[in-house]
Formats: sequence, structure tokens, C-alpha cells
Amino acid sequence: MIRLLVTTVLMATLLLTGAAPGSADQERLFRLGYLDNLGSALCRIAQLKGHFAQEGLKVALVRFGDSQGGLAALEQGNIDAGAFLVGEGLRAIAQGRGFRFVAGGGLLTATGPLAELDSRVQQQLDLSGTVVFIPATGPATEKETVTRLTAALIRAYGSSRQQPDILPLGQSGADQPITRFDPSPEYYRLERLWKRLALQSPAMPADFLANHVYEEIYCDALDRLLEDSPDDKLLQELSARAVCVPDCCPKNKNPK
Amino acid sequence: MQRIVTFVLLLSLLATVALAADLPKLRVGYIPEPAHGLYFVARDKGYFKEEGVDVELFQFGSAAEGMAALKAEKLDVGTFGTTAPLLFISKGSDFTFIGGIMIGGQAIITRPERLAELSGHDLKVYKGKKIGLVKLSTGDVVFKGALKRAGIDYKKEVTFVEFGSAAAVVEAVKKGAVDAGLVWPPHFSLAEKNQGLKVAHYIEEFYPKYTCCRIVAPTAKVNADKETYRRFLAALIRAYKFYKTNENETVAIYTKSLKIDEEIIRNETYVKKVAESNPDPLRKGILEFWQHILDAGYVPNDYPIDKHINIDIYKQALDSVIKKSPKDKTYQEMLAFYKKNN
Repeated sequence: MIRLLVTTVLMATLLLTGAAPGSADQERLFRLGYLDNLGSALCRIAQLKGHFAQEGLKVALVRFGDSQGGLAALEQGNIDAGAFLVGEGLRAIAQGRGFRFVAGGGLLTATGPLAELDSRVQQQLDLSGTVVFIPATGPATEKETVTRLTAALIRAYGSSRQQPDILPLGQSGADQPITRFDPSPEYYRLERLWKRLALQSPAMPADFLANHVYEEIYCDALDRLLEDSPDDKLLQELSARAVCVPDCCPKNKNPK
Repeated sequence: MQRIVTFVLLLSLLATVALAADLPKLRVGYIPEPAHGLYFVARDKGYFKEEGVDVELFQFGSAAEGMAALKAEKLDVGTFGTTAPLLFISKGSDFTFIGGIMIGGQAIITRPERLAELSGHDLKVYKGKKIGLVKLSTGDVVFKGALKRAGIDYKKEVTFVEFGSAAAVVEAVKKGAVDAGLVWPPHFSLAEKNQGLKVAHYIEEFYPKYTCCRIVAPTAKVNADKETYRRFLAALIRAYKFYKTNENETVAIYTKSLKIDEEIIRNETYVKKVAESNPDPLRKGILEFWQHILDAGYVPNDYPIDKHINIDIYKQALDSVIKKSPKDKTYQEMLAFYKKNN
């Protein structure tokens, strides 16, 4: 009788602590592609610091030599998501390859005398920033899974800020671009690049690019983390920068 | 004889059902705020059917979810604030504002001991204060608009702290993490009732008749079937008259439909009148709201929002209602309000 009672209490505790909701994702291996450069560092930090596990995801990192190979693997279903170059991704989307942007990554800022003289140096670097893509469909595109992936990358951003030398990233040297991180997919930044590359064709609807940027998932992930840590300064800073549709309703009034 | 009566009754019932089945349908999304209650009045009083439209109402727990449903064409109409449709439109989504459901409604709450310090009818009391808010909520946008109108450089003279939800703002005010907080119905009433906080000001005191939740619909659908949308708005115009002239029954309908405390609904709707249920499109208000968003730096690029506002369908709906009751005072007031605000 006592054993039964203890077992019941243990099972109830397990359910209440939230171990169960993550179990389905934990069982499934999530394959995340990345480039071996500084821009993909948030993915590597999330793995190193256990942030994917914190979000209930079991992740295997898959290294790629270039974005084209990574995007092809994403299209073929060999990986579930990938952190690749934004310029390559935008061009692929314009060609009808239905990738979605779910999170940001490394952004490059030009330094040195040439950068000061020629704005094209920075423009080129803007296209070499890193963003995280998912395919349009597939088991890994379920909203909850993508929200957890994004939340883990936001956590990784926090770790990178608290511990800048967390990875031996090898960034230094005169005239080398500076990498800073931003986990947001930020629609308006992507829109600027989209326009600069003149990728909008007359046949595309006006919201073609917006349909490929899941900014609301980033907002959901941020909200979720902020609910747990409302006083976290880094999360507040990210929230202040994000352009999210505001929450409207008393939680207990949601019938659906 | 009894058989004949039963037969006639059955026939008339079938005819009613058949008539409803033939009506054009509109799937309408809303969020559970008291001032959205015109939908329930129009439904419960039979105005939708009388005007010739079969409306099905769907409640949503967040504006983002509602807008996503509208974009996915699971809805034909939605009322999900002002910010949400503006953001979607500015990113290329082809929605059109055709009306409104709520005007005003935002309040600034504080702890009772801070009330005296924030009293009076001058926004200068907020200089140097720390204000909690939900970024891009109506209160955030309109309060900043009011501060700017009052000549206060809010980027330098007021500190804003952003939270993820109205509940988090209430909590921050209660804990003293901020001096005051901007929230909307029914949050400030709940904060007063359950948390002992006080409303320092309603933003309406500084910025009369500002826009809150707007009615939007996919532009293609609006253009393809203007008549159905006119009927829909005509029913809401009649519901507005009912709400203005039948307090007790309106409170009962709102309470039953939204499952919010009757006292809160009566207080917000008829006693303090903190928000108004009003179907007017308020075109000028939408354009001002968009400008406030740009001024605050929330969106980097301007967008031709005016191309996404259709005030003609509402005007046609109002004209059709006035034609049936030309001397009705409420409808004449609505017409004057329309002329002033559009």
C-alpha cells in the first residue's frame, strides 16, 4: 500500500515538474546544422552549456563546410534546422525553396580603414551574418519544438554575454570584422537585405518575405523565458529590441 | 386542427433554419475584453440575422494567434487590437480596417501610497518616473503619443520598463519595481479589486477618443463581398444603440458571454466609462496611432497605412440604418462622430 502511494506521488511529482512534456522531444534526435565559423557560435554554446537539454531537446550538431551544402541537406531532410549565411538563405527563399527564419546568430561589423572608405565592405558582411533556418514542413517544424530550439539559442546568447571566452572562437586581428550576436531573426533587418538584393519579384505577394520569418516564435520563446525570469536584464534587453505583437488577454480567460 | 398548427409551426421553423443556412457567413475572431461586447449584443438580439449575415464568433487568447488565424484565412474578420494589424500590414499582409469595436480603455495604475503624488490632470507628474508597460500595447503607444502632445520628451524624461504581459506589469507595480504601470481592461479593475492597487489616470483624460481594437478583414474578401461586410457593420451599429440605451441587459449579455465579473463590466462600461464599444473605423485615430509607433522607433520604415483603411463600407452601413430610423438620436450622433473622426 505504502509502495503504491509512494509510486503514485513520484509519478505525480514527475508530471508536475514538467519532465513529461519534454520527453517526446528528448527521445527524438534533433539534427542542427552549423557552419564552422563564429556566426554559428550560439548553436555550439547551446550544446556546450546544455541549453538544448534545458529546453527538453536532444540535439546533434552537424557541421557543414558551406551554406549551400547545409541548405541542400535541410531541403532533403537530412537535418532538421541549420545556422547558415543569411544572404544564401534569402536567395534560396526567393527561388522558392521554402525555408523559414526562426532565429538569428552572428552579425559582422567591418573594421579598419577600408571599411570606413567603402560602404560596400559592410554591405557584403551583412550578407555573411548567420541565421537559423527550418524547412517549411516536417516533424521538426512543430511550433513547440521550434520554440524550444529558439529558447535554447536565447539562453546561449545569455551565456555568451556572461562568459565571453566560453568558446575558443579565434576572433582577433587588425581589420578583422567584429562579430556580435543577436538571437532574433528580426524581420526588418532581413527586409533591408531582401530589398538591397532586389529579390522581390512582381509575382510574389507583398508579404512573401514576412511569410518566411517566424518572428512570433522568437517572441513566444522570449516571453516564456521572461515568465520564468522576469528580472533578467539580458532578457529584458532582448524584449525591448524585439517587435512583437503584445499579449492581450488574461490567461484564465482563454477558452481554447 | 392541432395537427395543422403543428405543421405550420414546423414549416416556419424549417423556413427560419433554411433562411439562416442561406445567409452569407462571416467567421469573426475577438479577444475577451468587455468593450468587445457589441458582438454578443448583435448576436443575442438577432441583429446579425436581421441584417442578413450569419456570424460565427471565435474567442482567441492572444492577438498574435488571432492575426495568424486571419492570415491563414480561418477567419473573415478579426479584432485584435490596433498594433497587431498595423504590424502585419506593414510587413505586406493585405488586410483592411473596416470598423472598430473599442475606443479608449487604457489606465495607469499605482500603489495607494503613490496616488497623491500622481494626482492632477497634468502629465508632468510622470516626469522622472519609472513606468511599467507591455511594449507596443495600446497603452504604451497612446501614452507616449499623449506625452509627446504635452511637450514631454518621453525618451529622456520618463523611464519605461517593458514586461511580457499585463499581469507582469501589475506584479511589478505591486512589488514597487516601477512607480506606475499601463494596463487595459479588465486588468486594472482586477488589480484594484484583487491587489489593492489604484488607477491614477485613464489615458482618455489626456488623449480623448483614441483608437483601440479595430475591425480588420482580408482586403480581397472585403472587395469581393462588400455587401456582407456592410450588413455585419449595420448589425454592430444597431448593437451600439442597444448598448447605449439598455444598460442592464447589455451588462447581462457581456457578463454571460465573456465570463468576467458583472461588477467589473458594469463599472468599466457604464459607471467609469473607461472604454467605449463603438464600431466607427476612426481613420484619423489609426493614422495617429501608426505615427506614434514610428515616433517611438518601434518600426524603422513608414508604410502607406491609409491605403488599408476603408471607411466607405461603415458609412454605407450607417446610412442604411439611418434610412430606417431617420430621426434616431443615437444614429445621428454616430454620423456626426463619423464625420469628425474619419
